[in-house]
Order: sequence, then C-alpha cells, then structure tokens
Amino acid sequence: MSWPVTTATGPRRSAAPVAAVSASGGSRLLDAVAVEFRKARSSRVLVWTGVLLAVGVTVLAAAMVLAVRSGDAEIMAKLGPQAASADWPAFLSVGVQVTSAAGVLAFGVGISWLYGREFVDGTIPGLFGLPVSRGAIAGAKLLVYLAWALLVALALVALLLAAGIAVGLGAPDTDVLVGLARQLALGVLTALIAVPCGWAASLGRGLLPGIATAVGILVISQVSVIADFASWVPFVAPAFWAIHPDAQTAVALVVVPIVPAIFGAATILVWRRLQLDK
Amino acid sequence: MTETRLRLGGVSRAYRGGAGVQGIDLTVLPGEIHALVGLNGAGKSTLMKLMVGMLRPDAGGIELLGEDIRTMRATAWGRVGALIEYPLAYGELDGRTNLRLAARLHGVPPVAIGRVVEQIIDELDLGRYATVRARRMSLGNKQRLGLAAALQHAPDLIVLDEPTNALDPSGVILLREALLRRAAAGAGVLVSSHHLDEVARIATRISVIADGRMIGSLDPNGIDIERRFFALVHDAMAVAR
Repeated sequence: MSWPVTTATGPRRSAAPVAAVSASGGSRLLDAVAVEFRKARSSRVLVWTGVLLAVGVTVLAAAMVLAVRSGDAEIMAKLGPQAASADWPAFLSVGVQVTSAAGVLAFGVGISWLYGREFVDGTIPGLFGLPVSRGAIAGAKLLVYLAWALLVALALVALLLAAGIAVGLGAPDTDVLVGLARQLALGVLTALIAVPCGWAASLGRGLLPGIATAVGILVISQVSVIADFASWVPFVAPAFWAIHPDAQTAVALVVVPIVPAIFGAATILVWRRLQLDK
Repeated sequence: MTETRLRLGGVSRAYRGGAGVQGIDLTVLPGEIHALVGLNGAGKSTLMKLMVGMLRPDAGGIELLGEDIRTMRATAWGRVGALIEYPLAYGELDGRTNLRLAARLHGVPPVAIGRVVEQIIDELDLGRYATVRARRMSLGNKQRLGLAAALQHAPDLIVLDEPTNALDPSGVILLREALLRRAAAGAGVLVSSHHLDEVARIATRISVIADGRMIGSLDPNGIDIERRFFALVHDAMAVAR
C-alpha cells in the first residue's frame, strides 16, 4: 500500500488513503477503544481516584483493627460490637461498608471525567466529522470505565489482603477468601450503579453534573435503606448483599445490571445526537 | 476525482436566541481554496459546524464528497479533515501521541500511522514538540498540532475555522504552503478568516458572510479588497435594517 509521501516539495497525494480507510471498515469500535484506552493510560484523574479509593478503604479498615487493639473504650463504643472482635470478618465488614459509599463517589468521579472532560477540555469539536462515530466513542469510554473499575476493585482486594496480614489478622482461611471475593464483586457492582454519572456528565456537558449525580445516588441509597423493598433497589442492592450476604440479597443483585444497561444506552444516545449549540 | 468536495444548498440554522445562518448556498471544488470572510459573529463558525455535523440544519441540504451528510458512510468521513474551534489536543498526551490518536480516529490503518505522523511533524515543523505534552504547549503550537491532526491523513475536503489564530509568522507560512500543496493535488479547501490580506494570498475564491447570510464575493486578485469588503457588509446591513 502506498501512502502520500513527503518529498522536497511536500506530500504527494494518491487514492491510497481512501482505500486504506475502506480496508479498516467495520472496526470503528476497535479504533475508538484503542484511542480511549491510550488516553486513559495517561490519565492522572483515573489513577489518583483509583489509588484514593483503594488506599482509603484499606487504611480505614486497618485503622479500625488498630483502634480496637488500643483498647480505648470511647473508640470501642463508636465502632460498635461488630468491630470489637478486630478479626478478619470485622476488618472485611469495614471494607464493604466504606466501599459501598466511597465507591459510588470514586467511580462516579471516574466516569464523569471520562465523558465530561471532552467538554471541559474543549476537545469535543474534534470528535465530530470522523469515520469513528461518537456513539462508538461513547461505547468505548464505557468499556474503558469498566476495565478501570475492575482494576481498582482488584487493587482494593489485594491491598485489603496485604493490610489484613500486615496488621496481624493471620493467614486468610476459606471464609476470608470468600469475603474478599465478595469485596471484589461489590467493587464491580458499585461501579455499575455509578454509570448514570457518565450519562449526567454527557447531558450536562461537564464534570459537575456527573459528580452531583454520584451524590444523588448516595442519597437515594441512604433513603432507600429504610424501605421494605430496599434490597431490590438497584442502587442499594450491592451494599445490602455485601453487608448481609444471604440467598435473598444475592437474588436481588439481578436488578443491578438494569442501571448500566439503561444509562449506558442513554449515554451513547446522547453522544450520537449531540449538537454543539451555543 | 472531479466530484464537488462540498455543496450547501439553502442551508438555514437558527439558534434559540435568534442568531444563526439563513439560506446559505456554497460550493468547494477540487483544487480550490475557498475563503469565507466576515466580521465576528457573522455566522462563519456556525456554517462550518453545520458542515461536519456539529449542528444539524433546520432546512437545506449538505453534501460532502458527493454524499448527503445525513447518510454519509464512515469511509467518506475519513476523507475529511476539519479544525473548528479548539484543536483536538489532549493535555496529558505529547504531540506525537495526540497525532497518532487523531490519525486512528480519521481511519488511518494502524500500520500506516507512524509514517503519516512523522510526515506531518516534518511538514509543519513540529519536531520540537513531538515529545512535549499538549498542556505545556503555547496556544500557537497547540493550534499547529490541531492543524496537523486535521491535515495528516491527506483529506480530500479540508475545513478550517480561523486556522491562523495564534499562529506565529512561520506557522502561517507553513500552513499556507501546506494548503496550497493539498489544493494543487486536488483537495477542496474551505477556510474562514477575518484577515483579508492573509486569505487574499492563497484563496481562489472569497465569499463574504454577514448577519448569517451570504452577501457577495470578492476577487482575491482585486485591489483595495478591504474597502470593497466593508462596502459589501455596510450595504447588507443597510438593507437588513
């Protein structure tokens, strides 16, 4: 294949570019995914948000164990009976409780940035008039988000395991490993319920609408907890299951994928129909 | 290829506030550098946004490279290069990486990207900035990077909104030569500007827009082009009032 080559008098044109473009037809989503992954690799926002969540949750869980061991009555009273044992179950319990709240905020910030940054940084005009459709770009961003969230959830589990051993909780037994697997699942499920933040960031054309939505999801979660049907509310179901794992809360997890399915599709639609009005 | 690169017929688009463009007819032919001149707020950017789908027209038709914009195939979009408003430059990425991503988005096959990027870096003298992150670049160099992203895939239709904005004199000359070369090779070029001297140097045709309407044209080789431009705009405004 020949491509226009630079000579002393500049590039020579040929019909090659058109043929080359045709040859790569049908892989537009792959092109978009490749581009979005490359952008994400250099993103400080994604790195630091992930680090803050993973390290923050781990430090809080470890701090609980150390606080209980200090024997301070006031701290013991604040932590409650569940933490008093300062063992693996108590440690993991703090992990899931903090993750279910902080995770919504962290993943909400991550996905809001992925979509909102194109508007804030002014790069959105450059995403028009391309062979790669904006729908494909929006879909690719969703895939990148899910991959990042999985990495963060895995890092969090690895840090919790290391920290648990480091503070002297002993070698993890099967129950602990199951608990860590539940923590991993909670991380991923929490990322799924934060997908509406990407939709809001796209609709509102910036980061703040997305972050406000993350706060809104947290509020909905807190308010729903008191309702009888709470475990069936998609935004609450992951936390309910992780904190009280049983057959009923596990079955309720089937409602969770509804959130990313609806809001992921809505986000792609927003990007496809986007106009840059004044 | 002799297809008309760009054709607008009776294109109108109003904003909620009332501004916009009305009944615009315009063509860009192969080998032509068509300049669109007008005062700030005349509708140049709105018109260019319509050409790449950033806005949808309320009325009228737009054809790029012989295809209706509403049903245009992805492969045809790979033959278009545009820079409208802000350059496609991600602050956290260096110049070369930005260009590689832009090439991929414009449909350049992965095996050819390296070559294409090095050619445009050479052509627009971006070598010093290839490893500099875009957020550390001056506005002018960022603009040069955006122009490189719009031109590197050898498009047959080039649409540039105020391309010399923030460029230094050497950047202006490099751009001018790059556009002349591409037009000579058959590309159709549409540039908007409010620098009359500048467009008169390279344009084969100059159309004047005011208050969202095409109000006439100027001869790029004519004398006292500035006076004639203001006479056209003044007459159009008087009629509108």
